[in-house]
Amino acid sequence: MAAITLENVSRHFGAVAAVDNVNLNVEAGEFVTLLGPSGCGKTTTLRMVAGLEQNTGGRIGIDGQIVSDAQAKFFMPPERRMLGMVFQSYAIWPHMTVFDNVAYPLRIRRRPANEIQDRVKGALRLVEMENYADRPAPALSGGQQQRVAIARALVFEPRVLLLDEPLSNLDARLRTQTGDEFRSLQKRLGITSLYVTHDQSEAMALSDRVVVMHSGHILQIGSPEDIYRHPTSRGVAAFFGSPNFLPSQVTHCTQQANGSFMLTLDGPGWTGPCGCSSAQPLGAQVVVMIRSENMGVSTNGTATAADAMTWNGQVVQSIFRGTHRSLIVETPAGRLNIDVPAVTNPENGSTVTVVADRQAAWATPA
Amino acid sequence: MTDDTAGALRSSSTPTSKLGGVDNVGFRLARYFTGRDALVLALIAILGFLAVYPLTMLFYGSLHSTPPGMAGEFNLDGYRSIMTASNVIVLLNTIGISLGKTVPSLLMAVFLAWIIARTDTPYRDKLEVLITLPFFVPPILTAMAWGMLGNPQVGLLNQVWKWATGSTVSPINVYSYGGVIWHQVQYSTPFLFLFIVDIFRAMDPALEESSRMCGASRWRTFRNITLMLMLPALTNSFILSFIRGIENFESPLFFGTPAKITVITTEIYNSINHRATPDYQYATALSFAIMALMFLLVIWQWYVLRGRTFSTVTGKGYAPNVMKLGPWKWVTFGFCVLFFFITVILPIGQLAIGSFFKFFGFYSRDMFTFEHYTAVFSNSEIWRGFWNTMILGLAGATATMFLGSIVAYVSIRTRWRGRRLIDALAWLPWMMPGMVLGIGFLWAFAMLPGPIPIYGTIWALMLAYMALGTPVSVRVMSSAYAQLSYDLEECSRVHGATFFQTLWRILIALAWPSFAVGWVLAFFGIMRELSASILLYSVGSEVLSVVLLRLWSNGQAEQVSVIGLFMMLLVIVFRWAQLRFIKSRISTL
Ligand SMILES: Nc1ncnc2c1ncn2[C@@H]1O[C@H](COP(=O)(O)OP(=O)(O)OP(=O)(O)O)[C@@H](O)[C@H]1O
Ligand SMILES: [Mg+2]
Repeated sequence: MAAITLENVSRHFGAVAAVDNVNLNVEAGEFVTLLGPSGCGKTTTLRMVAGLEQNTGGRIGIDGQIVSDAQAKFFMPPERRMLGMVFQSYAIWPHMTVFDNVAYPLRIRRRPANEIQDRVKGALRLVEMENYADRPAPALSGGQQQRVAIARALVFEPRVLLLDEPLSNLDARLRTQTGDEFRSLQKRLGITSLYVTHDQSEAMALSDRVVVMHSGHILQIGSPEDIYRHPTSRGVAAFFGSPNFLPSQVTHCTQQANGSFMLTLDGPGWTGPCGCSSAQPLGAQVVVMIRSENMGVSTNGTATAADAMTWNGQVVQSIFRGTHRSLIVETPAGRLNIDVPAVTNPENGSTVTVVADRQAAWATPA
Repeated sequence: MTDDTAGALRSSSTPTSKLGGVDNVGFRLARYFTGRDALVLALIAILGFLAVYPLTMLFYGSLHSTPPGMAGEFNLDGYRSIMTASNVIVLLNTIGISLGKTVPSLLMAVFLAWIIARTDTPYRDKLEVLITLPFFVPPILTAMAWGMLGNPQVGLLNQVWKWATGSTVSPINVYSYGGVIWHQVQYSTPFLFLFIVDIFRAMDPALEESSRMCGASRWRTFRNITLMLMLPALTNSFILSFIRGIENFESPLFFGTPAKITVITTEIYNSINHRATPDYQYATALSFAIMALMFLLVIWQWYVLRGRTFSTVTGKGYAPNVMKLGPWKWVTFGFCVLFFFITVILPIGQLAIGSFFKFFGFYSRDMFTFEHYTAVFSNSEIWRGFWNTMILGLAGATATMFLGSIVAYVSIRTRWRGRRLIDALAWLPWMMPGMVLGIGFLWAFAMLPGPIPIYGTIWALMLAYMALGTPVSVRVMSSAYAQLSYDLEECSRVHGATFFQTLWRILIALAWPSFAVGWVLAFFGIMRELSASILLYSVGSEVLSVVLLRLWSNGQAEQVSVIGLFMMLLVIVFRWAQLRFIKSRISTL
């Protein structure tokens, strides 16, 4: 059974629709991430699940139980929804010790003292903070506060865990480490999690499924790999990195066994087959997305696979980035961004052959 | 784009699902929504009773020809009777005295604040505590002390002067315009100081430094930059102090009335207490007129401050520029000590001396006695007044702060319907002098249906104190809440706490230093209150200030001194506890 269900959920602030007709199911034990640019309605969606914001349309269910139904004017206040939540600011109460912070949800529920003791110890052990139990909360570093916030959210075994950009206040190294630790903890406990972030790599690394949002709408839901490699729209494709888009025309379209479609395309300086998520009519304009790391250059015109896509062009810019080198090459297909190994260093103005793997190309409606 | 499993809800919400029927849903809905609405309605009802009801009754009473609770007719006699030439004098007196005390107080407060915040005067932190102490002393005590100190016949100051110079004229007479103003200056200066010193401290030193870098002298910078930046805040303080001057009752009562100087508050009081038959209609019409004056002042304040921003004065903790005064620092030090000596030590000393001699003014060894102490301690009426004050102080301050906490919460931290109305209602008594509120409540209690006997009980005072204290308590708690992030509160709700549990365990728990500061202010406010108490007390519910005034009118200045000393002691203990336990907590939070 779905642990979280959003059915046509909307939230209007006056005339502005912060969230517009969103449908989403999160399965029990699943880790789902809401991803999107600033102001797209991620936080609002999460807060509606939490009950901190009231949806103006649609229904929200948790564990098959309706917690909010705009039409029936039913709204369950947050404290009765049995959720755990980690806030961006961590919201560690500064007037309590670490122990008291974590014990709060249990004390509110009037659990016996020895149970509180055991469970808080257990939760603090999970996040490796058991030695800090008696610290006053303000005397913690950002990373430690974050762990306490997770322990507090987990301590009473909530039905669902909600997290709003929990890592954004940490420095880059700690962010990756804490994210990975949290993911393995989540897998171990099998706790359903709804996670909000605007960081694509975080979303990729942590989630079972990613929900890409844009101005209140859901653009696409899918596994991180699916979303990255097979976007259904140009917007989703453009959200990750700065891929190349090649305008092309559809000359043939067939459905494939896995439900996607195989198009035959006629593009600038190139023709051939390309995958697409939706059926396209003959003659339709589409764009083909090829990510810069899936393109390469060969300077002497040798050894390209038979079905590879190739263009000749001139290098106009070359930037050394440490892990790789970013090239911009002027070709008949337009200016292409290409990431090559840092040791490959064609001169500015030199003519190169750009090579792209056909497997990496994916067409989206223009 | 629709998720493939959407629609699962639809099947799970059929009548056979474990969601339960519509009744269950409806029940929960009703409970949640009426909880919030009931709270809003309850607040509106309470605040309406505390502010709007007495105000309405004041208007009703001003048109009613007989005292509260008696049958009568409606006419405009009240308003007609206040339109007299002598009342023009009263109005001019009121405004003149208030202006006369505000201007010197403001100058002195700016000077003191500058000394404390911006110079290297020694022991500044201790001096600050001493300078602000007079604000916390009930004015009735210093009024009585100054009545003894500056009495033209037997006042201590005059006696010392005559003894020192051998002259026979008394230079000081507190029963005069000067006396009325002088007594108010003692309160206004620390009051204004408390506002201004924080502004001096919060000013970004870079603003002044850049003026110095542009070639302006120190004095030029002070005039052109520092004072100009503070101007909106100074204007606001000026108006606030002016309003309080108009509301003032003790100073004109003690020093004006004997010299036939009448202001609006004493005119109202006299028309009820000092005429053969109390003229309630006249008093009420006059009260309504003073409300109109206050209203104009508040509009003026709003108009002056409109659009002014204080953004140059941020709340960040800068280390302000400190001026090195050299040997002059002992002059500024001396000035602060002198202020403290005159406003606190002299009156306390007078009370102490007065309490040990048979008759005040006659200080020779054979007059030395403890009899006033035994008289006071065996006087059951004084004890009753003491206990009433304590009960009202403790319960009233607590109730006021709880009301203020909830009102502040609803008006600044929620988006509930009705919150603006609640905020406005809670602010309304700010415009009502205690005297006016007292008369409003006299009418209000008399008009209540028979089975609610408030008048004549301690509840009458309790309600008046709550009304008078609520604007301050709301303000204190609002600024405390404004510093707490919403996450702290929402996090508590998500983790299972109800609205009231969150209010108590998170918000009040975090804001308790402010709560305590507000509580102490409310307690002091109740302890010093005279003008509403004098109208609303009845036999058995006298408070200390009323008992003191009665003893004083009976000529028992010596017993007054004893009680005054103990009240001073109480003030100092409370103030010490406040500084010791609360301030230190605030700085660590
Ligand atoms: N209380 C409110 N009143 C009016 N508009 C609001 C309110 N809260 C949010 N919005 C609007 O709703 C939209 C979505 O806001 P939301 O906070 O959900 O964005 P977000 O995706 O979390 O962005 P970010 O990544 O910056 O946190 C924004 O355009 C915002 O301005
Ligand atoms: Mg957000």
